[in-house]
Amino acid sequence: MHLKTPEHQVAGHIAKDGKPGPLVDDKGRFFKPLQGESRGDNEVKFYESFSSNTEVPDHIRRYFPVYHGTQAVEGSDGASMIVLENLLFKYSKPSVMDVKMGSRTWYPEASEEYIQKCLRKDAASTTVSSGFRISGFEVYDHKELSFWKPDRKLLNGIKVDGVRLALRKFVSSNTLSETSSKSDSAFASSVYGGSNGILAQLLELKTWFESQTFYHFNSCSILMVYENDSILEGNVDDARPQVKLVDFAHVLDSDGNGVIDHNFLGGLCSFINFIRDILQSQDESSAENLHSSP
Amino acid sequence: MLKVPEHQVAGHIAKDGKLGPLVDDQGRFFKPLQGDARGENEAKFYESFSTNKNVPDHIHKYFPVYHGTQLVEASNGSGKLPHLVLEDVVSCYSNPSVMDVKIGSRTWYPDVSEEYFKKCIKKDRATTTVTLGFRVSGFKVFDHQESRFWRAEKKVVLSYKVNGARLALRKFVSSNSPSDDDDSPPNCAFASEVYGGSDGILAQLLELKAWFETQTFYHFNSCSILMVYENESILMKGGGDDEKKKKPVRAQVKLVDFAHVLDGNGVIDHNFLGGLCSFIKFIKDILQS
Repeated sequence: MHLKTPEHQVAGHIAKDGKPGPLVDDKGRFFKPLQGESRGDNEVKFYESFSSNTEVPDHIRRYFPVYHGTQAVEGSDGASMIVLENLLFKYSKPSVMDVKMGSRTWYPEASEEYIQKCLRKDAASTTVSSGFRISGFEVYDHKELSFWKPDRKLLNGIKVDGVRLALRKFVSSNTLSETSSKSDSAFASSVYGGSNGILAQLLELKTWFESQTFYHFNSCSILMVYENDSILEGNVDDARPQVKLVDFAHVLDSDGNGVIDHNFLGGLCSFINFIRDILQSQDESSAENLHSSP
Repeated sequence: MLKVPEHQVAGHIAKDGKLGPLVDDQGRFFKPLQGDARGENEAKFYESFSTNKNVPDHIHKYFPVYHGTQLVEASNGSGKLPHLVLEDVVSCYSNPSVMDVKIGSRTWYPDVSEEYFKKCIKKDRATTTVTLGFRVSGFKVFDHQESRFWRAEKKVVLSYKVNGARLALRKFVSSNSPSDDDDSPPNCAFASEVYGGSDGILAQLLELKAWFETQTFYHFNSCSILMVYENESILMKGGGDDEKKKKPVRAQVKLVDFAHVLDGNGVIDHNFLGGLCSFIKFIKDILQS
């Protein structure tokens, strides 16, 4: 089995300085190291529970990575790794964005130290104000034939306007300069819009979150992926925009309580509104263009 | 002639020389403008909201009507103080059952003082605010058999956990004598009349939810939803003494307490919305069981 470091990680742990990071094989699988003692177990526990939960409808299951159990992987000191579907396997030059959902990343059951750490980070980012924060993203620029990625430090300090800009840049074809003129949001309707676009998928998820009381997805992210290249070649259908939930180290089983994940849901609704606004301003500007054409 | 309102279930009470709201006999509610900018903030909100043409009519009805401010003899004897003049939302009922639910998984908000933040988060974590996205602040139910009100004890209410909140929402629509012990489970006799129906509490909450999914005008920090209904009229529907028979008044949802409302700045009030959805789920579950 030939394993290598994944190319398109935009957030989360990476393999550095001898510390284990995720790996991918050439058969579409993603190997995630267990994050220390209990957290690692917690993520496995979630995947075990979720994959066998018959009450999760199929159309919701597609928003989660397929789980292939755990495996001891050679070269990682016999440590176990979670084996998942490699979400980017079917894309050749994917543009990817990781958005951490919820107006808080802490939860009552966590340690006081962890709660304080999260509170600080939540207040310093757009988590508290907007109900979500962008953890990272990269966009493929087909003209320059390379990926553009914002500076991580820059991303950590952004406010609401910065989030709007990032969400526009994510679907633009003129991204490559950080100081470039207004992002053209050229792909907004093919990626965010349409019956199979990001917005439609988020709305499906929202409906499920309004009633599901199985899990509380603390500190989870929504991953948005699409194929930039195909759109410009005229294959609008090939953009294949996809929403996936990832990172379940802090998920808690909550079915005993009958309480919905209001924290995730609130943030999701806010995120949906941001996406909608971009789509609407697209409609408005193209309508203007129609009217102003000679 | 102004007097102390009978049906306050939460907030400051004008009793024993304390400063609190007053009502007249014409359906008006006089709320003293609280010190340290909160009163001003609430007045500012009402001024903005009452003239905001972008708020649809069917949403305006969930807010108390605003009648400006007025100098009124304060309840604590400190002379004439400025008061907000609002619609008294319970004045059309004779024996209303009332519940105040503070909505949102946090009552604090960005840029508050460290002291205020610590006070809020302590209370949020000690109550169901963090876990449920809302907390019951207080309630009273009219017991038609005993012909008197039963009021939940404040200490008990604030110590509710998830099951306590659920139980309170059941007691609120029950006709068997409510009490703080769990001897007889609440019978939820009025659940479908009050919570259900095309114009019941749930239908109203769902209308509000739809507005909250897109409105970015206001962030309703620390606001409450007040639920009010007339217990007696439901029981009278099938007949009864003509004298006592009153026109049945439907159950109502009202948003109240706007001292901490802030500008939305193009972002929806996800904190309120998340809590509202959680509250809706609880009501739905009671209707289904």
